[in-house]
Order: sequence, then structure tokens, then C-alpha cells
Amino acid sequence: MNYKGLGLKVGLEIHFQLDVDRKLFCNCSSIMKEKEPIAIVKRKLHPVASELGEVDIAAQFEYLRNRNFFYEVFKNESCLVELDEEPPHNPNEEALKVALQIAKLFNCKIPEYIFVMRKTVIDGSNTSGFQRTMIVGFDGYFEFKGKKISITQICLEEDAAAIDKEENGNVYYKLNRLGIPLVEIDTGVIEGLEPKEIEEVAYQIFLISSSTGKIRRQIGAIRQDVNVSISGGERVEIKGVQKLSLISKVIEKEVERQSELIKKGEKVQKETRAAKEDGSTEFMRPLPGAERMYPETDVKPIKTENILKDLEVPEPLNKIIERYEKGYKLSKSLIESLLKTEYFFFFENVAKAFPKIEPSIIANILSATLKEIERKEKVEIKLSEERLLEFFDALNEGFVFKEAAYDILKKMNEGESVEEAVKELGLIPLTKEEILKIIEETKKEVSDKKKLIGIVLSKIRGRANISEVIKIIESLG
Amino acid sequence: MDAYEILKSKGISIGDKIRVNSIEGILMPRTEFVESDVIVIKMSNGYNIGIKLKEETEVKLIEKKEGLVLEKPKTKRFDSNKPTVSILACGGTIASRVEYKTGAVFPSFSPEELIEAFPEIGEIANIKARKLFDLFSEDMQPEHWKIIAQEVAKEIESGVDGIVLMHGTDTMHYTSAALGFMLQDLPIPVILVGAQRSSDRGSSDNRINLVSAVLFAAMGEIAEVVVCMHESSNDDYCAIHRGTKVRKMHASRRDAFKSINISPLARVNYFERRIEYLTTNFKKRDKSRKLKLDTNINPNVGIFYFHPGAKPEFLREMGKFYEGIVIAATGLGHVGVNSGNDKLAKSFLPVIKELIEKGIPIVFAPQTIYGRLNMNVYSTGRILEKAGVIGNLCDWTIETALVKLMFVLGHTKDMNEIKKMMLTNIVGEISERSEHEL
Repeated sequence: MNYKGLGLKVGLEIHFQLDVDRKLFCNCSSIMKEKEPIAIVKRKLHPVASELGEVDIAAQFEYLRNRNFFYEVFKNESCLVELDEEPPHNPNEEALKVALQIAKLFNCKIPEYIFVMRKTVIDGSNTSGFQRTMIVGFDGYFEFKGKKISITQICLEEDAAAIDKEENGNVYYKLNRLGIPLVEIDTGVIEGLEPKEIEEVAYQIFLISSSTGKIRRQIGAIRQDVNVSISGGERVEIKGVQKLSLISKVIEKEVERQSELIKKGEKVQKETRAAKEDGSTEFMRPLPGAERMYPETDVKPIKTENILKDLEVPEPLNKIIERYEKGYKLSKSLIESLLKTEYFFFFENVAKAFPKIEPSIIANILSATLKEIERKEKVEIKLSEERLLEFFDALNEGFVFKEAAYDILKKMNEGESVEEAVKELGLIPLTKEEILKIIEETKKEVSDKKKLIGIVLSKIRGRANISEVIKIIESLG
Repeated sequence: MDAYEILKSKGISIGDKIRVNSIEGILMPRTEFVESDVIVIKMSNGYNIGIKLKEETEVKLIEKKEGLVLEKPKTKRFDSNKPTVSILACGGTIASRVEYKTGAVFPSFSPEELIEAFPEIGEIANIKARKLFDLFSEDMQPEHWKIIAQEVAKEIESGVDGIVLMHGTDTMHYTSAALGFMLQDLPIPVILVGAQRSSDRGSSDNRINLVSAVLFAAMGEIAEVVVCMHESSNDDYCAIHRGTKVRKMHASRRDAFKSINISPLARVNYFERRIEYLTTNFKKRDKSRKLKLDTNINPNVGIFYFHPGAKPEFLREMGKFYEGIVIAATGLGHVGVNSGNDKLAKSFLPVIKELIEKGIPIVFAPQTIYGRLNMNVYSTGRILEKAGVIGNLCDWTIETALVKLMFVLGHTKDMNEIKKMMLTNIVGEISERSEHEL
């Protein structure tokens, strides 16, 4: 499809949960690990009179009349603040710092005072009836393929409660997600790019933000809204795209949908649509008007000067890429594939900690071997960074060898320790004597040196350092 | 120089649309927390930010403020089949409207605005509403209680079926206790109501509290001064508390108000608009009953909170400012009398005797909040009672004891008479039994 010719315009709103321990306006844990609620509180929401007039209120009133909200309370993860029974505490300073770092990374202007606002939300996902949100940066940009992508605003806000179930107007929400610090990054209108490229733009936004090392990567921690329009169509907002890798598909399908409507001579409606897992969308509601915001008077305005004074802006990603190329001698393609993993920053930790391992081997294991295990074994890699360090430590110490990486990591992913995996796979490192014995035995079978090396190597695979074994064979003459 | 003054000299005032450098938005009033060289702007996306106005900052007026016309809600017709309820606003904003354009929040007081915000109250009753004053809870003075009592009496005179008083929550239990004493033999219910969550938010407890209060004013059988607030954290029931037995027990929760040492009198089921009575021990509605309005009170009463390290001299000094003193006493009704002649302990006995001799009554109320004083159990209690301390066997709250002493001192200066009145249960402020179920 000729997207340029269709006049494709896209705007992205990308949300990341911040990887900080505490919530934005209280000291509850932001790590959602509790499974069972300890209490359920029943609430109603009511329309609030505004200048928007009686009709608006009547509509809200009708919408809310038969809806009851039930909030599930989780131990340590929700308190009176989430229950709207206590005013917010001071904003989480760490979250504020990370948000400002992100704003700096995107070359944003930063207001001298940040004001926390209340954005009216009546779907029940916020117990208060509004979401607390603040602009931490505006008028920013970043470079993508020599093009300036504008970042209109970056907000720090409370994540909303996640819906648990809904039956006959009774909506159940889990309070543990409510209040987790969330950063929203909005791009300006992006024109002249293919859907695939726009997905890359989103990915770059994710990467640049990740330079802070404080972006959550779990499913559900990153959510996108995508605004799409083509010439003759209308702006349609697609909410809740759960994966970055779904963006191009969502855009393609929306362009298709709008084109077909135009072809049939029908009018494209301005509306909000919900993204489904296959990239298609369904109607949610008409496009809402301007955001309804008023100040959160329970939180003092935040003076940014003092925070900015000591704020260290993390190294932007392009600098890191340069270092990986020149310092660690990683190939461009290896960096590319490392970027697609969640181990991009982790790579350098490993490389620094274990200098005896060739950096490209580390990069290869992190970007290729783990993926290969996932693909071939049809499993999900659940290894934490600590567990991976355990493996690299063994590799560094010569306790395991790179040829055995696949098998050992596969076993480790099943819950085994390095030692257990090595034992079970029979991959205990060979002593020099054992290696010599294998060479002598093999020599009895083959005389050709090339063949000899090949057979010996396959015999010792994963149990010794290959180049050292070759050296031994060569020295034996 | 003040940034707003500079803008003013350029003909720019609050509400105008301006451009500051590259930022476009509406100039907002300054908040108390920002410095004088900072202006607050509401950007077109709705967010407020603060910007320092420097010499080189370019400011351009784009559009003068438009006069915002708030739609006036329509007046509802009087329906003679419905009861009539008067709503009097004393403070605390139980209703407000938000102007999203500027983010300003305005309190609402007129009946039309109240009915617009809470259509249910118009379904329940004909609503009369007016504002008496607009006070923060902490600014409420005993003199205000008198005015409220007089205004309530006027409304009763006009023949309404119930009265709702909107009040800030922090001192609502003082006002409810005071009105209890001032408005005796009520023919109809008088209900104080407030909100713990601001009325500008969809989650405010204002609606359920107000609708329940109006319902109770219109149909409730209890002709007493009561408080109507959330029963629990859930949005379902409101509890009806006796005004002299209620206390704010939490700084922020919806269910902050609890009946102390008695059960609530009733509860209102908001969803079914149904009243459930929890006791029969109350004065029944009777429109033919003649109200006894008595606003004589003496506000010169203070509270002394006893604690380890408390100084008897301070209590003595209080006698210079107050004509009656309530002491928040420990346990069953104790303050130090040092009967063991400890080297470090201090005795309050001399100063208490001295004050009583001067004609300043000393009234005890329990620090424990829950429970009944009993000054017969320990020698300390016996010594204090013998010295003339008032309060033995009373289960009133500190606040109700304070208000009652003000009321009593508004009627007599005679110590015997004071004691007699204090120990007489006037409007349910002393419960006869201490129920186990509570």
C-alpha cells in the first residue's frame, strides 16, 4: 500500500510504568504480587456540575446511575489513598526524577513549576473520579532517520486501577495498579513514514526512555494509544495497544478500514476504538472532547529548579550504541538484535563484570541463544538478571563453555542451578589429562589431522575450551 | 517585581489568553506556593504549569477573557404532595461546580443549583435553601451556634417538615451538641450533614450524605438534632447519629463520624431510600410540639488535656481566661493527686480546689473517648469527686462536656445548680446504660 499517497498521519501516546518501588502519591508497594484481595469496597461515582451544561450532566448521570464499582483491596499494595479515603501524600521523588530525566532525554522544555492536575475520569478506574497527572516536559523532539520527531508533551501520572470483571453494571477493579507511576509520552503528528517505521519510532521512544533504567518491561506495563487518519478519513484514536510490535499492524488495519469506508462512500467517524490482540480494533465510544482538568489542590506545586540542579541525565542510547560498536567491538547487526531484547543495558553490566568473556559472545548469548531456546523449546525465558549473571560467572571462570550455553541455559530456565545443569548434562569440564586421553583414543581411529580435530572437538563439545584443545592437538604434532 | 503586576501594566489580566515564549494558554491566578516572579498558565491541553517571567520573556496578549456564562439551572415547581425540606448552609462546600475551562471550582448554595447537582433531592422533597454563612469548620464560634439555632427556629415556624444543615466536618460534632441543647422539644428532625471528600470530584460522599439527610429530614421519625454521614467506607448506608453523642473519629475517611457509647439511632439505605431504625429511644416527630429555643450560653469554657508532665500552674492560669474548665482525664476519671507523696509526681488537687472555690466548675470527660467515668473505684477518683469535680458516672465526650458546660453556665453561676444541671441528662448526652453490643 502506498501510505504516503494515502496521506497517512499518525500520533502516538506511549505509556510506561516506572520501575520504582513505591506508588506516586503514597507509600504503597508498586510491585503487584498479591493475588487475593483482603477487602472489597463498594462505591458510586456521580456527575459533577460544570460549565459544560445540564445535558452533559444528565448524560453522565444516566451513565453512572446503574453502575456500581467494587474495589479490591490488596495488602501492602493499596491504602486509604487508593481508596480515596485519604488525601495524596507528596509525589514520589524518584518517579519525578525519572520523569524529568525522560523529559531531558527528549529535549523537552521543563516548566519552572509543575502543577498536579485532576483529569476527570468516570469509568470507575480511579476511585476519586479523576486521574492525577502533571506535565513534566513539553515541546521536545528526537532524531529518527535524520528526521525530527516532535514530542509535544511528557506527563507523569497515576496508573489507573485494572478492571477485574464486569457483570450487570457491577464493575470490579483491582486497586493494586492504581497509583503506580506512569509516564506518558505524546508525539506530534507523524507524516511520511510507513507503518513499520512508525513502529520503529515507538520502539526508539521506548529505548530512549529506557536509558533511565527505570522503565518496566512486563506485559501490561507498556501501553500505547495510536491516533490514525488518512486523507478523506478522520482522526481515530485506538486505545490499549499492548505490545510495541502490534503498532504497525494496528495502523495498517485502521488504514484499510478507513480506505474501505471511503471507497464505499461512507463517512469515517471520529471515534475511539479499542485494540484487540490481533491488531484489529472495535468501536469503544465517540472521540471525547477536550480533557476535563482542574488543579489537584491537595498537592503543592513542584518547583523543578532544585530537582534539576542535581539531576543526572542518563547517557542517551545513541552514545551507548557508539560505545558498544567501538569499545566492545560489537557488529552493527549484533547491536541491532541486542536492542530488540530486554538485555541491551544488561549486556554492559555483564561485559564489565566478566572481562575474560569475549563481548560478542555475551551479546550473542543474550540476543540469539535465549531467543533460540524460546523458539525451539517453545518456552518462555524466565531467567532473572541474577540468574544470567550466575551463568556468565561460570563461563568467565571456565566452569562452563560457550558451546554448552544453549543446553545449560535451557536447564537453568527450568529452575536448575549451573552446577545441577552441568552435572545432569554431563558437561563437567575436562581436565588436561582427560583431554589428552580423548585425543590419544581418537588418534587410534583416524590419522588425518583435520578429521582428528573435528572428531575430538565434537567429543569434548561443551566440556573444554575449543581453541585450547586445538592448540594441544597441534602441539602433539 | 510582581509578575502579575508587570502583565497588568501590559493590559493583561487573569483569564486572558496569552502567549509566553512558545506557550499558549490562559493566565491563571497565582497560587500561594509559587514565587512572585512566576505566572501560572493553563495550556490548551488543560494542564497548568508555572513559568518564571524574566526580562527577556516575550508575552503577547492573544484574546481578552471571555465572559463565561454559566447556564442557570431551572427552578423546580412546588409540589404540595411532597414534604418540604429547608437546607441551610453554614460552611463546608457540599456542592460545587467546576469550570473546566479555567479549572476553577465554585461552591453552590441555591436550591436550583443543589437540585441540579443532586436531582434526587428534588424527587424526595420541595427544597428551600439558603446560605447562613460560609465558614471553615475551624472558624465556627459559639456565637455562630446561636445564629444557627435562631434560623432553624424560623424555619420551623415556617412549617417545613425537616431541616438540613450543611456544615464543615471538623467541628460538626461541637455544633450538633450545641444545637441539641439550644433546640429542645423539636417537632421535626434537624440534620447536620457534610462531606469528607471534596464536592468537585465524582467520588465525593456529598451526594449520598445529602440525599440521605434530605430523605431523613422529609420522612425520618426522629425529631432531634442528628448528624447524617457515611456509615462505612462503602457508598451504601448513612448512619444517623445523636448530635450530643457523635464524634469525628478519623481525619479523612468517609465514615469518620461515630456514635460514642451508644448505637447510631438509625441508618438510611441510599439505594432503596429506606430508613432503618436501630432504637426506639428517641423523640418522635410531632409537628404540633412547641420548640423550646434557648440560646443562652457562656462561651468562656476551655479544655485542659491532662498528660504525664502536665503542669498544675497552667491549669491555674487557665482560670484567668475561662469561667469553666473541662479536663480530659485519664481512665475512669483521674488526674495526678500524688496521694503517695512521690518526689517527682505533681498534685492537681490544690489548684482544682482553688478553682472550684473561685466558682470555676471543673468537669471531667474521658480521654479514652469510649467508656464511662467512675470516680468511685480508685482513691484518686474519690478524692477528686470529694473536691467537687463534676462528671462521675458520665459517658459524654470531651466536646459534649465542653458545650454542655457552656450551656449550663449560660443559665446559672451557682455551683450546686451547675452540678445538678450538668449531671442531669438533658438531650441524651449521658446514656443510662453502657451497652455491650457496641
